[in-house]
Amino acid sequence: MPQVQKGPTLPRPASPAGGEQSRRDFLRGLVSTTERARLERLQVAYATVPPFGYWSDVKLRLVRRATMGLAAVDVNEVRRIGYQSWLNEQVQYDEIDDSATEALIASRYPLLLQSPAQITAANTGTVQSQLQEAWIYRAAFSKRQLYERMVEFWSDHFNIAISKVGNLKAIDDRDVIRKYAMGTFGDLLKASAHSPAMLAYLDQNTSRAGAPNQNYARELMELHTLGVNGGYTQDDVAEMSRVLTGWTYGSAGDFLFNSGRHDFGAKTVLGVTIPASSSSAGASAVQEGEKMLDVLINHPSTARFIATKMLKWLLTPEPTAQQVSAIASVYRVTKGDIKYMVRAILNDAWVAAAPAKFKRPFHFVASSLRATNPNVTALTTMNSQVRTLGQQLFFYETPDGYPDSVEYWSGNMPPRWSFTNTLAGATTGQTVVDTAPYMTGSTAAAVDKIQADFFADELPASTRTALLNYLNGGTFTATRVRETIALALSSAEFQWY
Amino acid sequence: MTDHSSDHDEADCGCSEYRSLSRRKFIQASAGAGGAAFAASMFPAWLPKVVLAPTYQSSRDVMVSIFQRGGVDGLTTCVPFADNNYYTARPTIRIPRPDDTSVPAAQRATALDNFFGFPPGMAGLVPAFAATDLLVVHATGLLDKSRSHFDAQRWMEVGKPVDATIVTGWLGRHLATVPPMRSDALLRGIGISSGLAKTLVGGPKTLPVADPSNYNIGGASATRTARLAVIESDYGTTADPLRTSALDAVNTIELLSAINFTGYAPHNGAVYPNSGFGRALKSVAALIRADVGVEAAQIDIGGWDTHSAQDPNAGSMFSTMNDFANSLGAFWQDIVLDSLPVTAVSVSEFGRNLRENGSNGTDHGRGTTMFAMGKGIAGGRVLVVGGWPGLDLNSLEDKQDLRVTVDYRDILAEIVSRRLGNSANLSAVFPGWTPTFRGVTR
Repeated sequence: MPQVQKGPTLPRPASPAGGEQSRRDFLRGLVSTTERARLERLQVAYATVPPFGYWSDVKLRLVRRATMGLAAVDVNEVRRIGYQSWLNEQVQYDEIDDSATEALIASRYPLLLQSPAQITAANTGTVQSQLQEAWIYRAAFSKRQLYERMVEFWSDHFNIAISKVGNLKAIDDRDVIRKYAMGTFGDLLKASAHSPAMLAYLDQNTSRAGAPNQNYARELMELHTLGVNGGYTQDDVAEMSRVLTGWTYGSAGDFLFNSGRHDFGAKTVLGVTIPASSSSAGASAVQEGEKMLDVLINHPSTARFIATKMLKWLLTPEPTAQQVSAIASVYRVTKGDIKYMVRAILNDAWVAAAPAKFKRPFHFVASSLRATNPNVTALTTMNSQVRTLGQQLFFYETPDGYPDSVEYWSGNMPPRWSFTNTLAGATTGQTVVDTAPYMTGSTAAAVDKIQADFFADELPASTRTALLNYLNGGTFTATRVRETIALALSSAEFQWY
Repeated sequence: MTDHSSDHDEADCGCSEYRSLSRRKFIQASAGAGGAAFAASMFPAWLPKVVLAPTYQSSRDVMVSIFQRGGVDGLTTCVPFADNNYYTARPTIRIPRPDDTSVPAAQRATALDNFFGFPPGMAGLVPAFAATDLLVVHATGLLDKSRSHFDAQRWMEVGKPVDATIVTGWLGRHLATVPPMRSDALLRGIGISSGLAKTLVGGPKTLPVADPSNYNIGGASATRTARLAVIESDYGTTADPLRTSALDAVNTIELLSAINFTGYAPHNGAVYPNSGFGRALKSVAALIRADVGVEAAQIDIGGWDTHSAQDPNAGSMFSTMNDFANSLGAFWQDIVLDSLPVTAVSVSEFGRNLRENGSNGTDHGRGTTMFAMGKGIAGGRVLVVGGWPGLDLNSLEDKQDLRVTVDYRDILAEIVSRRLGNSANLSAVFPGWTPTFRGVTR
């Protein structure tokens, strides 16, 4: 495909938003001066954190953003080939040989490769655990790291709770999210709209003429395309739900248009008029919905909404108006090509100025695995840890997906600190960290290895000293090394990316 | 109620106490208070092993804030059985009248007055209502007309509709503008969850704790203190809000590990359901009994987004209501019945359409119910501000929904003012809103 390089058409970012800016944001809208004076003194949660000065290499900032955590393989590669080449490699994910990962997935989690009918018929608990563990494995060990980041993004954007839809979620994960995570938004949306899991999750399968169910019609516009302020009304929701009557699925996990449930009356949605037809139109009436999906895909609000959300995910919790406009125009020009948008967002000027983001629990677990590179025989323990930390995969109940904000997650640290001992402390079991490479020389050499592997050597001296002091505070044994590794993963520095 | 806020000109900043009250100081102070042997001999097992200030008496209520996520069908949680339009619009998912002898008594509404009744799923709250400790507010909600879950929840939690610039939540700002109930409190606000609900954001010494009985750092106990010291020191230099919340968490580890949650024995024979909501309320009850200075707790209960197969008589909504009512009923029996200074309030982002849809469910609507409970609440009645708005077509909002006759902030603001001792700062808790008190409190 043609390359979108960073270029003069992309505006330079404004200076990164810091605490003062956010404080003003917080205070805006509060009226009285005395109140303002009082609130100035309050401890408020800031939405953005400036990038850390010791993150001196912009190439490493890119790797932090575009992976599930620093690991030697990517750090070495970006140092070897440079910023833009590494980014291009990751964007062209399907050209990366990831056959070792896929072979392991195929052998350990074979259900995920079966037909929709077979998956539908399989044991639900098995499907669920295979899907969750395969996610953890890929996040930690796939070479297609940027792709995995986008898979996670779209899985929240098109969130589906497995507790409601069961095995259908595994089909959606493979045939919708993973298939189009780096494709075009239009293909992704259409696949989602035809996905039995989504239709079941948002009750579309129960909607019928005369008494339509508005659940999917609303979230299709609010969460999937236009955004809540994207210019639709309650009437549009009601009319869209009539357009979509009859969209359901069959018992083999396949999409089905049931014209017997379709409302053939005239409708107006978002200013588009769909004339009445007779029920003899039958199956062709599915085109009403297909047409409206195209309207949504081509709507300027969708371009802005998707651009904003991708910027928040990949770059900054508070993208500027210029950044949103720039990426929305990439959406329009490329007809929603996700690869072009990702590459435009991750230009070096923006990445250099992007505020630090806080890892969500899944990201934290995956990055801990990447940093320590344990011998993995199974992932059921890691899977239950992701749950304990608050981000049980595919169990977020509501269609907005897990939050991605520091104020939401940062209060819940002790479970993370405990997790690091579960991972680093294990001497037997499913994920065992080998301490031998840390013990080939002095304690300082052991901390050097931690500093290199976990932080790509970008670590405040005070943290390095604290780790070394701890290691020196007891006998230099594997147990003490394991505790030191756990402390490194528990550190504040390891929570940001 | 004494209003303490006038005693303090300075709002609690919540950001500089770490040096003056470090974890180590806390341990020293607790050792000086008598020690575990003394505590074990004097108090039942569920009491905290350390008692910071045994003489402490609160004159403000502890706030238990409950969010019923998903949009509660208030026409089911408190049935307007005297309005026949309800029965016309709900041929399938209806709760029969208290005097409907065509069905067994167990399937009928329990009359709360001559107009409203609780469905069988809410039976667990009938005793609290009868004791006049439970108030139902009907036809309430957000004045903003959003039918989006996520916008409506956000505005409700922020406390100012359609202001995207405010990061903090109303209960967080309450905590931030009122002096602590105890000056030495290590934890003032708690969310029983893995992430901090918007409601609490901005609160000093406020954390999400998914499981208060299991809040620790793992690893070998012999090295625990040394490892915790490394962590505490490391987080002292990172960026906020992580720095503050991590340091609060270090203190909270000590606090919560001193409380015997698993051995907590509810009073008066109360039995909490073994559900997420029931366990959360039980943990909060243990925290209240421990009297360690926690003054606000936030708990979510989901499952109210009943687009399909709502079945309030035996199915999905019955189960959800049953969990809600039995858990809150147990909390009433355990805590409120003993006249502890506590107010519990539940909100939901909106109600549901009057007419049921084709999936035996209901889509997003407007007005719904709130519940307020406590000895300071003027309970035992269903409050409808301005009278029942009616369910005939012309009385409905957009010809489909129960109207919102009173903004939810009027209810909360009265509680913040009269039960939480923060009348001086209502304009910070609910910016831009001038509340009218509706007689919610005694």
